[in-house]
Amino acid sequence: MRVVVVYKWARNPTDALVRSDGSIDWRNARMTAGEDDPAALAAAFAIAAGSDGEVLGLTIGDGDASWALARGVEQAWSVADAPSLVDNAATAAILAAAVRHLGEVDVVVIGDSRQDAGVPVALAGELGWPALVGLTSATTVDGRLQAARKVGGAAQTVLLPTPAVVGIAAEADVDRAPGMKELLAARKRPLTRLSLAELGVAPDDPESLGCAKPDSTPARVFAGEPAETAAQLVAALRSEGVL
Amino acid sequence: MNTDCWLLVTADGWGGAFRIARALPGRLTAVVIGPRLLAEQVAAAGPDEVRWTDPGPVPAEAWGAALAGAAADAQPGVVLSTTDPAARVLLGAVAGRLHARLVPAAVAIAVQDDRLLVRRAAVGGETIETLRCTGPVAVTYGGDDVAAASGAAAPVTPVELAAAPLAVIASEPLAVASGLEDADRVVSFGRGVRAKDDVSLVQGLADALGAELACSMPIADDLGWLDKSRYVGRSGNHISPALYLAVGIGGAPQHMEGVRGARVVAAVNNDPEARIFRTADYGIVGDLYDVVPELTKAVRNLPSKELEQ
Repeated sequence: MRVVVVYKWARNPTDALVRSDGSIDWRNARMTAGEDDPAALAAAFAIAAGSDGEVLGLTIGDGDASWALARGVEQAWSVADAPSLVDNAATAAILAAAVRHLGEVDVVVIGDSRQDAGVPVALAGELGWPALVGLTSATTVDGRLQAARKVGGAAQTVLLPTPAVVGIAAEADVDRAPGMKELLAARKRPLTRLSLAELGVAPDDPESLGCAKPDSTPARVFAGEPAETAAQLVAALRSEGVL
Repeated sequence: MNTDCWLLVTADGWGGAFRIARALPGRLTAVVIGPRLLAEQVAAAGPDEVRWTDPGPVPAEAWGAALAGAAADAQPGVVLSTTDPAARVLLGAVAGRLHARLVPAAVAIAVQDDRLLVRRAAVGGETIETLRCTGPVAVTYGGDDVAAASGAAAPVTPVELAAAPLAVIASEPLAVASGLEDADRVVSFGRGVRAKDDVSLVQGLADALGAELACSMPIADDLGWLDKSRYVGRSGNHISPALYLAVGIGGAPQHMEGVRGARVVAAVNNDPEARIFRTADYGIVGDLYDVVPELTKAVRNLPSKELEQ
């Protein structure tokens, strides 16, 4: 199988500061490896290993593209001028154009981000491929793509046709920092830069009319002497009817 | 402005999405790929019609391409799904075919000056952005789940569509639940607890409350202080207790996603800026090593019948 792993395709929301008026300051945050990226990478390797295949890396935006190269991916492509977008379909269109640019691809593996839950599925929609997301892992058995997931109290194994998109949701924080040897090897591995113009995509976002903080009641917070605050909390929980 | 809407349903938890779809002036078509009972439940909420496909043992995702084709004929202006993985895959397939924008975590949709205004939760729900969209829009619903109101029941029309060759080839029940899922009260701790021996402190509070003990992901995953069946969060347990008391937990979005269904969330944290105070209902700012023993004492001093469930 020829497997593309998509990584570092979004900014990390923890890099954003929400100002008191609700507006968002990204503080020059770059695209980062998402919490699901290491699990997606592991699945990409598992799929390739089960089929004598290869793993190609694909990233977008201004993050350091060597992340995958330092973790065993032999070559990678970066659409460096891709902006960070609100419209998940626009992001997916960039990724789909890049996947098509890579020629024949059997499987695209991508982290199933909580923040941008529409990107993996819009990518499949854009490519017109079947997809499964929310997976815990994927692999190839007897030349066929199969994926694991948890649904309604059961662990399922699902067989998929190819080409397909698989979205992996991390079960644990599995990233492993590469050693010096791997970092040096990564520098020698080919990284090809692509541009939006080359791919023939011109993504844009819907017009933003601004942000506002949600209407929510802030926590009633007690501070002071431990015995006193404990008594206040217990009284509050009793009045809520939960004690 | 075309506000005819398709709501894609593959599993429970569609009430909130239904509510924002029904608020649009256009025709609401619920597309259900799931058991007949699910289609009937959706129909009872009062869409204009229900198109129902029975997937049998096949994953609902297998109908993505077929639904995309049907959407190309029907041309809905708005397509909605929950964040359920199968429903999302169908949403992506339809959005791709319609060349629709796809906005994640929408909490409301309105029509203004012949444009769609989509309000979406950004930065883990800390702020709400309003987007003005032309053309078709697909959204995942990102607001609270609500029980669907009942409306004028719609007819359920069975629809036969071609499925892609996806198949479940094995299914095994997951390990026996830890008891967290049904617990009325849960006391949970995170990295604020400094040593494994100190877990007994939190356990004491849980015992006093008649609560189950849980933890954040790093406690089970990195430190192994509790079994992995006991961690709460995005990839762990999703629980809905009446009371969730978080001790020494920062409140990362991944963690809070696991307690979205909790009725009352209370937190003890020594950092007044801790993220958890933004989503909790009650909090104590203080060192858990001082506060937890006092809480345990205060709970023990309650008349005993107070803690009967």
